[in-house]
Amino acid sequence: MSGQAKGRIFPVVVISFFCVTILAGLFGTLLPSLNYLPVIGYTRISLSAWFDFFSYPGIQASFLVTVFSGITASVGVVSLAFLFITFSYGTALWKFFEKILSPVLSIPHAAFAVGFGFLIAPSGWFIRMVSPALTGFTIPPDWIILNDPAGVSLTIALVIKEFPFLIMVTMGALGQLDIKKTLLVGRALGYSKEQIWLKILIPRLYPHLRLSIFAVIAYSLSVVDMAIILGPSSPSSLSVLILKWFNDPDVSFKLLAAAGSLFLFVIVLLSILCVYFMERAVGVFLRPWITNGNRRCFLSPLKPIIFFMGCGTLFFTAVSSVILVIWSLTWQWRFPDFLPTTWTLTFWAKGLMSSFDPVMTTLFTGVASAFIGLLLAIGCLEHEVAAGKTKTRNYTGYLHYFLYLPLLVPQITFMAGIQFFLVIMKLDGYWISLMVSHLLFVLPYMFIALSATYLAFYERVTDQAMLLKRSYIIVLFRVKLPMLIKPILFSFAIGFSVSVAQYIPTMLVGAGRFSTITTEVVSIASGSDRRAIAVYALIQQFLPMVMYAFAIILPKILYYNRKGMQV
Amino acid sequence: MSLELKNLSILKQGSTIFDPVNLVIKPGEITTIMGPSGCGKSTLLSAVSGNLDKIFSLKGSIRLSGQDMADLPMEKRNIGILFQDDLLFPHMDIGSNLAFAIKEKTSRAQRKTIIDNALKTAGLKGFEKRDPSSLSGGQKARISLLRSLLAKPSALLLDEPFSKLDQTLKAKIRRFVFSQIKKMNIPALLVTHDPMDCPEGGMILNLNKEKG
Repeated sequence: MSGQAKGRIFPVVVISFFCVTILAGLFGTLLPSLNYLPVIGYTRISLSAWFDFFSYPGIQASFLVTVFSGITASVGVVSLAFLFITFSYGTALWKFFEKILSPVLSIPHAAFAVGFGFLIAPSGWFIRMVSPALTGFTIPPDWIILNDPAGVSLTIALVIKEFPFLIMVTMGALGQLDIKKTLLVGRALGYSKEQIWLKILIPRLYPHLRLSIFAVIAYSLSVVDMAIILGPSSPSSLSVLILKWFNDPDVSFKLLAAAGSLFLFVIVLLSILCVYFMERAVGVFLRPWITNGNRRCFLSPLKPIIFFMGCGTLFFTAVSSVILVIWSLTWQWRFPDFLPTTWTLTFWAKGLMSSFDPVMTTLFTGVASAFIGLLLAIGCLEHEVAAGKTKTRNYTGYLHYFLYLPLLVPQITFMAGIQFFLVIMKLDGYWISLMVSHLLFVLPYMFIALSATYLAFYERVTDQAMLLKRSYIIVLFRVKLPMLIKPILFSFAIGFSVSVAQYIPTMLVGAGRFSTITTEVVSIASGSDRRAIAVYALIQQFLPMVMYAFAIILPKILYYNRKGMQV
Repeated sequence: MSLELKNLSILKQGSTIFDPVNLVIKPGEITTIMGPSGCGKSTLLSAVSGNLDKIFSLKGSIRLSGQDMADLPMEKRNIGILFQDDLLFPHMDIGSNLAFAIKEKTSRAQRKTIIDNALKTAGLKGFEKRDPSSLSGGQKARISLLRSLLAKPSALLLDEPFSKLDQTLKAKIRRFVFSQIKKMNIPALLVTHDPMDCPEGGMILNLNKEKG
């Protein structure tokens, strides 16, 4: 290994960008939590914010509901994903999931949460479906289903929303394992497919999914937008409480918020550490089970349940969108009726007018961050390809770890810290800061989405092109990238949809000067008019869909007469 | 305990891909199927193992110790396979790879003796804790065979098992494989395109399709 692979500027820029922002973010949260916030006149270091935090009324309940919903959702979704792949890999259902995954993933969390709430609320569609025929209800029951104090509805919604994400990551990782041959060998030794998955393939799959699972844990523990819409309200989960403190008119609450968000970070860190050690323990305990020769599959009875639950996540996602469409067109809808009695387009007309500015902000921020994300992702991948060809020193190994960093730290913890420094540097409230803060989350997802296909590109084609043209740039832009147009546009659409869904960065870095469709949805979601909320949620859902449609249709138009490009 | 193929033919879109095969392989015998690539050798093997692709359909019968295999899934047929790739599980040590094959109702001590003995027969004593990727090609091939045999199969299929080994190694591994099959006293079906692979005195079947 001598020399360095070319294009190393890209990974270096990305790694430093991530390190600087996250370190700054954590440091910028640490200082206010220690009573240091000169902007509002606090300069004496002390632990008073921490004492205030731990003695805040109801903090214990907040802590418990955060940990309960976060951990239950993570454990639930990871087990469901592993069992689902065990039972469904290679079946028609799995192939269906492969097709349907991107549109499902593109639905922003907030929009889904709103629709989900419209389904399960006491006056929601599900109860309307069976009322009054089965229940006898003529007025909505006074059950606390939505915003339940234990966070059950939030937990279920988290599982539904994160399941497709884990499946997507799994699909990416499967390419690196020799699934077909392993199944063949295992079956020749007398094991059924399910047993081979449980005993051989999942233990091999796990290391590839580890970081994504950690990201799921971090997200579930610190989710804000979904928790505002579906989570308990008093006391609310920690992340929601922290955001409330940040936005409190009494600025001294910012110190409390800083302490709280650092505490949340510690919870996330401990949970991840816990899982890390559990991995080892499970490994030790399960090793004898793997080689004990047992060929019976004790989990087989679960198969229909797992199928049902896997399909259930899709069903809920789909019906959540349907109910949004219905509500957005409603004029009058009395309680036990299955459908509205009168319909209208009024709320669409109003909503489209009033959402114009937030939609434009969302569009510009999304397109800009996805475009920069794409440049950086391709740059890093080209570096990886070059390193693989020339066997030179490279930054690829580090990059994969650093890329996940923004997904492992609660957004609210380091975004608040970044705002601390932005205020000092007088950079807060600029659009460019907002866009860059989105980039932190856009880039990892784009990279994950693009890397597998990009690295699988048949490099002989570029080699051949290099012999003919002798210019790396020409070959890259005229041969390689056009051939990869599909995955590139897809990755762009994913980046865009991640940007659209951002709530915390917009709230904190935008300093209240920018509202996107997402911040609008969340802020009106607690309001009373379902019709207006539905319109906004649908607009939010619509934006990423447009980008996905674009990613599917554009290559077909550009290469309509090229059969080799239609695969 | 013999493997019988009776009037076996495989159809793709309604037409057979080779002439019907009639074979009886007695325990301890190795029958070789030869033919150019694309003649359907591997397809025939996957039909016997129970892993036939859904685009094909099967006519005739496959019987092992008198039992019809047609409706049994691959894992219930008790037929072992040896591939050209060693396909050892890369995340397990050699001992675990072998233990994975041993059937249930064997105590831990028994399993250890079985593995020890197996490794000894292959001249790989003390390899339990080794990482599969640290082994040479020949060593992997031997472990791979041992693993297939520890599952106590009633028949063994060999899918070009020697084609990835270099010339000097080939003869050695071949002898080892054939002697183990004799010792286990099970019928074996070998697919290859190398005439050198055929065991002495074994039956050879050329797979072809009559034109017309």
